[in-house]
Amino acid sequence: MNETPFSRLEDVILDEAFPEVDLALRRGRHIDRDDTAWYGFLSDGQGYLEAFYRRFGAELVRRNEGYFYLLPTSDRLGRRQLSVAEMLVGQALTLLYLDPATVEAGGITTRAGVLSHLASVMGTESLVRALNPKRKKYDERVAQETVRTRVSEALRRLATLGFVDSLDEERVRLRPALMRFAEPVRGSAATAEALEQLVAAGEVVLTEGDDSDDGDDGESSERELNEFSPDEPDPADDEPAEPIAWVEEFAAALDVVPIPSDDPEADA
Amino acid sequence: MLETPQDPNRVLAALAKRGLSLELSTLDLCFIAALHVRANGEVLASFPESELLRAFEDVAATLSPGAENLRRRATLAIQRLRDQHLLSRVDGAGVLRSGEYSLTRLATGIVEFFLQEEALTRESLTLLTRTLLASLSALREAASNARTSEAWHTDVAAPLSVTVLDLVAGIERRQRGLDVQQEEFQREIASLLNSDWFGAVDRCQTLLESTARTLRELNEILLRDTHDLSANLQEIQELAVRAGSEEAEGACRRVADQVDRIAAWGSSRQHAWSEYYQYVHHFLRDVVRLDPTRALTQRLRDQLSGRRGQRFALTVTQSPPMRVPRDVKPVVAPPPVKRPRAERERPPEPSEAGDAEAALSERIREELAQGVTDLSDLTERITRDLPREERFAVAGRVVPIVAKLARPSVLRERPWVETGEDLVIEEWTLGRTGEQS
Repeated sequence: MNETPFSRLEDVILDEAFPEVDLALRRGRHIDRDDTAWYGFLSDGQGYLEAFYRRFGAELVRRNEGYFYLLPTSDRLGRRQLSVAEMLVGQALTLLYLDPATVEAGGITTRAGVLSHLASVMGTESLVRALNPKRKKYDERVAQETVRTRVSEALRRLATLGFVDSLDEERVRLRPALMRFAEPVRGSAATAEALEQLVAAGEVVLTEGDDSDDGDDGESSERELNEFSPDEPDPADDEPAEPIAWVEEFAAALDVVPIPSDDPEADA
Repeated sequence: MLETPQDPNRVLAALAKRGLSLELSTLDLCFIAALHVRANGEVLASFPESELLRAFEDVAATLSPGAENLRRRATLAIQRLRDQHLLSRVDGAGVLRSGEYSLTRLATGIVEFFLQEEALTRESLTLLTRTLLASLSALREAASNARTSEAWHTDVAAPLSVTVLDLVAGIERRQRGLDVQQEEFQREIASLLNSDWFGAVDRCQTLLESTARTLRELNEILLRDTHDLSANLQEIQELAVRAGSEEAEGACRRVADQVDRIAAWGSSRQHAWSEYYQYVHHFLRDVVRLDPTRALTQRLRDQLSGRRGQRFALTVTQSPPMRVPRDVKPVVAPPPVKRPRAERERPPEPSEAGDAEAALSERIREELAQGVTDLSDLTERITRDLPREERFAVAGRVVPIVAKLARPSVLRERPWVETGEDLVIEEWTLGRTGEQS
């Protein structure tokens, strides 16, 4: 920490990169060496930012492959789990990332390549079933079209999370954060044991038999985990409980006095 | 090479109209390659037909040993090559004796593309740029001494068009060769990793380092020498402009364009290779070294196919966007509805008074004097030139005046008669004219 250009948290927060990086991390973005300026900023301010984000109930994680991300460890920050389509596509992309054939192309692959890889590893039937979970019977043509749509949508979302870069309509560049998909099988230990540790750390959630999160509209996958808890308020509700707590935390970190609300009971 | 640029549409139309196409099998390619190698080795300008047949038999024996009907297949192959302008008969003896054949420029180009491994190296680039600089210095000297248009053509424009452009084209050809070599290196790296994974790391790094070093050196030479080349060309061009030699000026411009392209190639390839270098370097470090037995790929494959472990989903942060309250503005009561104040009565305006009654009487009198005998006829004459809104009022004023000026005779049943477009009156027949007492 002594070699960084920052001597205290205030310097980190006053850096011009902070707002963009902070928003990106809170939106689930993974930041790697290709994001040169952001990665440099995070590397320099890591010590301060880890403590900063811990106060929001989140861990700023840095992996050996050279990427950062924010892992929520409580419900203070919103969080979500990746959908079935995103998980399948993510794992297929990781396989491609590890494939020497992709090295020849400098880490660039195509959407068609991803689909083809998925179909060859899972089998076409399993892939169609996995991405059309609610349909007992389906028309082959329609189901395959649904698979293509889901895969494209998953690629788009994975791109916003920093797992890939969309170069154009067809090509995507694979990024090191994809290695998160291989976490449960990284070590030589049993997968179940590794999964248990990852679940305990909040890195993953088990979804065996849960096919409800990939609805027809493709939007349900973005439901926040809070939504499934009956004890928590509905995120759609206008009650600004979370944002106020968030703002207060943020204000405390900046050492400024938050503006009191109009409701005296709330202030009390 | 110095011809004026052609219209691409016309070129394409001409090619399409001629129905040009090329279709070469591996056997055909090997056949012309064999002829090319033999011609170079034995310094032959052309081949007698027997030599062609022998060459084909050698190639066929190598590619498909035991093939039959070689003579017939050779005849067909020679015909195919002649049809595609790859082989031409050069003797002109026709049916008198068997022919002499030579490879065309097209065939030579194709073979050279596949055979030549002419990639740009530090030595070749240095040699080429030095030769180019020497040529340009000589041309600059010639340009400053040229006094006639003939001298400009022979001493400056022609050497620029042939010698200099050939040298520049030589650099470009080698650049393309290096591009091909880089693609091959990328394939080789992938192939090495595929076959030997962890054992390939050192070899891959050597390939990466050597290519990066070559590109760096080439770029340095290009950056240094293209500046001198451009400066020389600029001077020659200025002299050409001053002397009014458009031919030399155009040649200078074309050579300068190519020199710029050569320089741009260096930096763009170095940049591209740098990205590739970093990617592979990270791959070797983060993937290959951390998974030397390549077990991770298999475990991940099993996980994806559902053969291993439980289904899971990654957790990511998804913070709701910060709510920014809008600025509160005090509600302003709308102003009461009211009509703008205005003067209801207009002040009187002075107007010139005229005796309208007397004028009307005079007019009626004139009409009666002309022999009008019906009230309807008279009313129409009086009112037809008036505005529509005044007609009714004037028609009413006509009646008492007529009654004074003439003697109307009235029937028991007075008929209603249309007068003009929009009036109907009870008819009077008018008698003699004169003031009624």
